Amino acid sequence: MEDELLALQDEAGVELASVVDNNALEQFRVRYLGRKGLFSGLMRKLGQVAKEDRPRLGKLANEIKQNLEKAFTARKEILSRQGSTDSAAFDLTLPGRCYPFGKLHPVTQIMDEICEIFAGLGFGIAEGPDVETDFYNFEALNIPPHHPARDMHDTFYINDKVLLRTHTSPMQARIMENNSPPLRFIAPGKVYRCDSDITHTPMFHQVEGFLVDHKVSFADLKGVLSVFIARMFDADTPIRFRPSFFPFTEPSAEVDIGCVMCGGKGCRVCKQTGWLEILGAGLIDPEVFKKVDYDIDEYSGFAFGLGVERIAMLKYGINDIRLYYENDLRFLGQF
Amino acid sequence: MKFTLNWLKKYVDFTMSSAELAERLTMAGLEVDSVDELFSHLANVRVALIDNVRPHPNADRLVLCDITVGSEKKQIVCGAPNAAAGLLTPVALPGAVLPGGLKIKKGKIRGEISEGMLCSAGDLGISDDHQGIMELDAALRPGDLLEDALGLADTLIDVDLTPNRPDCASVIGIGREVAAFAGTELRRPPVDLPVLTGKGVPFTVQVDAPAECPRYAARLLRNVKVGPSPWWLQRQLLAIGLRPINNVVDITNFVMLETGQPLHAFDFNKINGSKIVVRKAGPDEKITTLDGQERQLDPAMLMICDEQKPVAVAGVMGGANSEVADDSREILLESACFDPISVRRTARKLNLGTDASFRFERGVDPQGTIYALERVVRLMIEICGAEPVADGFDVCSSLKEPQLLELRVQRTSDLLGVDFTAGELAAFLTAIEFKVIELDSDTLEVIVPGFRVDIEREIDLVEEIARLKGYNEIPTTLPVVPMRFSEQDNNRLLRRKLVEIMTALGFSQAINYSFVAEKHFDLLGLAAADPRRQTVRLLNPLAEEQNVMRTTLLPGLLENVRRNVNHQVADVQLFEIGKIFQPRDNELLPEEKFRLTAVLSGRRHANAPVIHFGQQPCDIFDIKGVAESLLNELRLSAVKLVASEGNEPYCEPGTLLDCRQEDVLLGRCGRLSRTTMKNFALRQDLFFLDLDFELLAQLEQTPRNFVPLPKFPAVRWDIAVLVPDSVGGGEILKAIYDSGEPLIEQAEIFDVYQGDPIAEGKKSIAVSISYRSGEGTLDDDGVGVVHQKIIDLLLSGFDGQLRDV
Repeated sequence: MEDELLALQDEAGVELASVVDNNALEQFRVRYLGRKGLFSGLMRKLGQVAKEDRPRLGKLANEIKQNLEKAFTARKEILSRQGSTDSAAFDLTLPGRCYPFGKLHPVTQIMDEICEIFAGLGFGIAEGPDVETDFYNFEALNIPPHHPARDMHDTFYINDKVLLRTHTSPMQARIMENNSPPLRFIAPGKVYRCDSDITHTPMFHQVEGFLVDHKVSFADLKGVLSVFIARMFDADTPIRFRPSFFPFTEPSAEVDIGCVMCGGKGCRVCKQTGWLEILGAGLIDPEVFKKVDYDIDEYSGFAFGLGVERIAMLKYGINDIRLYYENDLRFLGQF
Repeated sequence: MKFTLNWLKKYVDFTMSSAELAERLTMAGLEVDSVDELFSHLANVRVALIDNVRPHPNADRLVLCDITVGSEKKQIVCGAPNAAAGLLTPVALPGAVLPGGLKIKKGKIRGEISEGMLCSAGDLGISDDHQGIMELDAALRPGDLLEDALGLADTLIDVDLTPNRPDCASVIGIGREVAAFAGTELRRPPVDLPVLTGKGVPFTVQVDAPAECPRYAARLLRNVKVGPSPWWLQRQLLAIGLRPINNVVDITNFVMLETGQPLHAFDFNKINGSKIVVRKAGPDEKITTLDGQERQLDPAMLMICDEQKPVAVAGVMGGANSEVADDSREILLESACFDPISVRRTARKLNLGTDASFRFERGVDPQGTIYALERVVRLMIEICGAEPVADGFDVCSSLKEPQLLELRVQRTSDLLGVDFTAGELAAFLTAIEFKVIELDSDTLEVIVPGFRVDIEREIDLVEEIARLKGYNEIPTTLPVVPMRFSEQDNNRLLRRKLVEIMTALGFSQAINYSFVAEKHFDLLGLAAADPRRQTVRLLNPLAEEQNVMRTTLLPGLLENVRRNVNHQVADVQLFEIGKIFQPRDNELLPEEKFRLTAVLSGRRHANAPVIHFGQQPCDIFDIKGVAESLLNELRLSAVKLVASEGNEPYCEPGTLLDCRQEDVLLGRCGRLSRTTMKNFALRQDLFFLDLDFELLAQLEQTPRNFVPLPKFPAVRWDIAVLVPDSVGGGEILKAIYDSGEPLIEQAEIFDVYQGDPIAEGKKSIAVSISYRSGEGTLDDDGVGVVHQKIIDLLLSGFDGQLRDV
């Protein structure tokens, strides 16, 4: 008797799971739970078992019946919720069952975009250490100790020979000393300056790029950067090059683009000039070539460096640089 | 470098507006930071004549002034003690807004009408003199705008100088550039000093450190009348933000700004022994500088001394002990050239940057020493009635010869991408006072003027050519380079892949600072010997919270979670791929290794519709699943996630999983312990995954080898076994796969059940096994034999009982 009860429960469970519409559900009810159903049939047999077993089996039978009824009701609910196959029953205004993706950090998005543009122009991509020697960060780039240009770099030091790189330019020297021209590389990465306010964070990202070959000219530098800017911004973004100073390039240039906020009319972002400084560049200084034993009459080249956060700010209209490193999902979710 | 338009116009003629000038300067490499109209706030301030001063009926300390402004008469209430009839003074009329923000209105003061305000120079921002109302020159006309009457209207231009252009740290230097692009001539003020004959100079100059002081010139002036500077000089200094002090000091400042040569004036009577000695400081010497600070000197610092003591820090600041005072009568003037590095070191060490040190650090014109000195003498004769002593000293022991450089025309053309002729190049350079000799059609010999200390090589001349030509006049071309495959860093590509996988799994990317607080290690509960406590330390951190380079990415992410939860973003799925830094013995640079760390907290289906996904919080299987998906996508099938036998101090015991391939521990995942949660002020369960990227990158991926698709159908048979509680579901699966039965294709647990009616200490594990043969369709007999073997294996291996399904 006990075995029969349990078997009935199992059998009913399996059958119920296969019920997919209201018809089948009704058939199930009649077969198992109806007045002439299988369960009632078994209950009638209860009278025939030994008297001492009766309370225990009675209790078991009751439990099983309750379980079955509960399962039946649950199934009924599920079916009614799914509706029938009749499409009129779907509430199509409910949201879909979407699986949201995570977001790439905006700095990564811009960095990838920059790298792709230069990779398309045949530039290799290389990375270097964040903790760098004074030699590669300064001396190999023609910035000897006590050079006033060191004022432009608020440097974090580890000791008197080791520091956190203040730019990604050390990769010029690192790559050149192990390779011969022709070379064209970009070097993306984190850089550090001990400076923190609304427009500066002590860590930010740069992409350094350079190209070395025979007879590379300033006109070539202008050409490559113009292609980059047209890709990164709009094809008709105005560009201007103006003289500047970096110890490791000569001639040196700052590159401005027409203000993307005001279209060049003058606004707060461009300090009313209509122009935004976007990157620094120039022909590689012969002193840099001398440090890596390149013949300075044989080879020439150009280098450039750009700030990733700044480009992201301009492209996305981000107005507070500190947001980049708070990792607030309300911020990250916007890109 | 600040200057005003009117000042510049003393040396060069041009017709450009201030905006055009700023644009041209910027394009010449002298970036204009700001252009400001000076005294534009004086629009409603006029010259007034006080006709009469009467007592105020209701206030003892106020008076009523009747004034004339042009054709109008007005009454003004005034409290200045120097208000007197007949005085010309500025009046701010209703509508004027004074520099402090005060708006002038017609009103009553203590019951008397006041139609404006009589002003002090301080009130108007002309100087910092607040002592009474301004007493204007009696020749001025009442009613005129004050701005016009005093010639105040001017434009202040601020140029952000690059370190290579000290020649433009002077108005004459800026004028030279303007003359070059305006096509006009630069006019230097003539000095024409009176011809003097004397009988020897009553002082001596001795330079003991010629390397640090290539040139030292000095002149003595007698009968100097120290007093306030004339208005034009005061106004010039005030316009660029310098406070006038007295005529002697103001003249030296003015000439420094004009010529770029820093100058210093000593009170000659305070110079002991009538002797100037230029030497290094002694070991225990001190000096009190003009700013009143006592400064400890070190023997590397160059000092200007008299017979006994230092009287100035060379090139940086004068000493208080030789300062020019109102009663000074004899002035010793210094014009010198100091070594840039020496001045820079000293200024750094003393933490004392001055207008003088700014110029010396970058390099002053060694040929300009005497001109500047004589210019001061000239002005002191005119302004202070000084009588110069004939002759002076000019010690130039190690003065550099002018630079002689060769400039190749072809090389210049190649580097700039423009075809130049020798004549064009010569014309550019001559315009900024270089001397040029054409040796042949391809070679120029260029003599570099002394003020261009930055020009030392041919390439520096090429830059000048580019600058003068105009960068925007240079064409735009693309380099012709051999085609070549551009190398990509494989690790970088793998990191990009990881980023894609993590975002596909719903995690957003975080970027945290590479430097962290050392206290994080305590918050994580790391043991004293934990290698993560071995850090690379910053000598000069911005804050204590950023004093060491990170050795784990977890604390940064934990702080990100707290921040998000505090801003009501409770479901957080973040990851970071970034470097950690570990010091290495006998290596200059630390080891930099990338890690991938992810944190998960809040609801399992963050940002997904609740109606479909419910609101269940995530649990340990979510983070384990992330790890599994990641390994799967990377095709690292040999890497297993197993319950850890070790421990992480910040992980809840019993939740730690090792991610390992045999002996190589790649990383771990688990749930953050209660203690660590508390330490980071986190209030909801948090799960972490932390992997060593470098190890991950070294593992071999399962090759992509094609396996033909099955021809015959599979059959699924289920088993449910009752096993002791201690048996893990994963162990059952592993036993099934390890049985080596070739027909087994897949085994999957579909139910784990504990509780009634199953006996205490036992659980039921139900497994669905799919069998398939490559040879043919399986029948019940064939499967049955294998299935029975598996059942027997499980029953004997795990002390199990079969449960009917």
